[in-house]
Amino acid sequence: MKDLGAPALMGISRVGKKMRPIKPDPHFGPPLKCTRRLKDIMTRHYFLSRYAEGAKPVAWVTSGAPVEVLRPFGFYTVYPENHGALCGAKKMGPELCAVAEEHGYHQDLCSYARIDLGHYFSGKTPAGKLPKPDLLFASNNICQTVAYWYKALSHYLKVPLILFDTPYNFREITDSDISYMVRQFEEMIPVLEQVSGRQFNYRKLQEYVSVAKDASITWGAVLATMKARPAPMTIFDAFGHMVPIVSLRGLPLALEYYRTLLAELRERVTRGVGAIKHERKRLMWDNIAIWYKMRDHSSLFAGQGMNFVTATYTNAWAETTPYMDENRPFESMARAYSLVILNNNLNSRLELMERLIKEYQVDGLVIHSARSCKPYSVGQYDLKRLLMERLEVPSVIIEADIADSRAYSEEQTRTRLEAFFEAMEG
Amino acid sequence: MTRKEYLIKQKKMGRHIFGVFPAQYPREILWAMNVVPVEIWDPPLEITGANAHLQPYICSVVKLGLELILQGKCDDLDGFLFPHTCDSIQNLASIVNDYLGMEKPCYFFYHPKAPFRDSSRIFYMEQLKGLAALLEKQLGPLDLFRLNQCVEQGRHVASLLRKLYNMRASGELAASNAQFYRVIRQGEFLVPDDFIPLLEEFLTASKGRSVAGPAVILSGVLPNPPEILALLDELGVRVADDDFLSCSRRLLVPFSQARDPFEAMAETYFALPPCTTKGSSIEERLEFLFGKIKVSGARGVIFYMVKFCEPELFDVPQLVKELKKRGLATLVIDSELNQGLSGQLNTRVEAFVEMIS
Repeated sequence: MKDLGAPALMGISRVGKKMRPIKPDPHFGPPLKCTRRLKDIMTRHYFLSRYAEGAKPVAWVTSGAPVEVLRPFGFYTVYPENHGALCGAKKMGPELCAVAEEHGYHQDLCSYARIDLGHYFSGKTPAGKLPKPDLLFASNNICQTVAYWYKALSHYLKVPLILFDTPYNFREITDSDISYMVRQFEEMIPVLEQVSGRQFNYRKLQEYVSVAKDASITWGAVLATMKARPAPMTIFDAFGHMVPIVSLRGLPLALEYYRTLLAELRERVTRGVGAIKHERKRLMWDNIAIWYKMRDHSSLFAGQGMNFVTATYTNAWAETTPYMDENRPFESMARAYSLVILNNNLNSRLELMERLIKEYQVDGLVIHSARSCKPYSVGQYDLKRLLMERLEVPSVIIEADIADSRAYSEEQTRTRLEAFFEAMEG
Repeated sequence: MTRKEYLIKQKKMGRHIFGVFPAQYPREILWAMNVVPVEIWDPPLEITGANAHLQPYICSVVKLGLELILQGKCDDLDGFLFPHTCDSIQNLASIVNDYLGMEKPCYFFYHPKAPFRDSSRIFYMEQLKGLAALLEKQLGPLDLFRLNQCVEQGRHVASLLRKLYNMRASGELAASNAQFYRVIRQGEFLVPDDFIPLLEEFLTASKGRSVAGPAVILSGVLPNPPEILALLDELGVRVADDDFLSCSRRLLVPFSQARDPFEAMAETYFALPPCTTKGSSIEERLEFLFGKIKVSGARGVIFYMVKFCEPELFDVPQLVKELKKRGLATLVIDSELNQGLSGQLNTRVEAFVEMIS
């Protein structure tokens, strides 16, 4: 999309909208300057998406899908999960979920999926308008749910669905698994050519893989700044700043953004500027964020002098980066995308969490048991027990949901957190 | 003979016993390696210990399976096999293998997900051979001659089941709904040497007219609770066919001409009826259901869901909408396993039957 005019149009669209002043919280350090830039990038992304339909081929993509393979074909990519998180954060989750439920989708199903289907049925979205896709691109490396969900979208929207099937790593990944995934890449090329009307360009793919790898490595470096004491940002900041690595992966803009963010964070580390003013305890977060409670939780923990310095969730887009190799794009993407946390056995998750706890000097762990996300949540009770046994790290489980606030009990969560705070001080 | 007594007898005969989680797996390989696969769908237990490992929003198939292990009722088994059926079974496999400290061999079987391509076929063959190679390490070499015999036995079982299903669909099976599934479900643990005579006997004994009442099709994971079958019998309703994961979707195995046993098993897998757990499209599932409706003259479909079962629950709204468009009645129920039928469910089923009568 052309950059010309978009900022002006965005400016016009903002005219007349009231901006609510945000009351500064005394427990936090100075806000990150990059946040403004992030907001502009993502506003522009959603804004331009309104005009993508008809101008560019549009793909709706799952967060774990190897999007690099779409980039050489010029697809404008939209991430329904990212949109679901946005709806959750804007507290529109229950309303959109209810629309899907009216159409027969059970309340026990993933709320990202229900929000997306609710958006399909009602057209409602805080993003103005989402472009209709020409293609659906899903990978079950994060869950099987996306396969069921995208299958429903394909049925309703009458557009083709490509599923990148990643065998679950019950043990080590095998050559057979890799070959299977490489073959799938080869098979999807003609489909992508047909949908986009463009010929495949191998060299361009290599470039996108290279940029995606650099962006992921830089994102990893961004997260690693939180090893410093005090950490220059909180994981709640990172939940926001991760959007480009999910939604704009492979594009130079994401890399550029993370280089700027990294420079700012390193500067904060050098000057000893913390995200919260009095960082007494350092915590780890497990699972996807509770989007509609981000601000409340951020303030609650900061008020206790507790800062989240790492999360298995944010780490997922940095963890398998080293496998990416532009000289072997298909094979390396197969490895990188198949070895992500949710497609790996629970033993490897336990080892990962142990490593993060040690590297980031974590004192306690908050586990979000998310109704929407079974592959992330099943096994958490044992993880809690094993981490306590092995590292004596106290932890708490919050039973909630990622975007549907109807599954959240304020009272129950408060009670559990109060007990956790006591344990942390003991 | 109870299932337990049967398995003790099999063990005494020198066979290995494996606990197999739902749903689709290459049973011929296990039979050929002298293994009795005992499928774990809905053991009649009260869930206590499993709640310490699994959240309240996990389905009762997974919870009951784990409960069975935790209560020590699998202690005499020689191993477990976990097919990749859904996210919850996938993680359960890892909990059992990685976290419970059990010293039993655990095997995992990944089937490629639809839409199927050439890569899916190559991969599936490799999966079959890979599983056989892993089992050989524990159980000794796989005899290909024996495997061929087992593939042949599998064909025989499938042809008998097809015959039974066809007779039922055309109203020529004089057996109650409850009797039918009681027999079919014996296949979850009987070896073919014992299952084949049972099916043949049932076929012979059940020839005759079915009840004259309205016909319905059941869809879902498995025919549980059995009380719904008894209620339908009581109301004079004929279950003319089913779309159960545990039954027709994996038992109505198409005939394969392939001479190589691995190729025959692969051919069979890709020709199985459409299923949520394989990623089949809604269009394929509808075509399958409409085919069954046409043959059997069913007037409605009852979707009997296991609570929290994502693969099934995602497809239901679209299936219901399309079925209704064609003037068919639908009833959607979701319930925990082994919970019987509540008064409210009873009333809903009765109202549904009145509607189609």
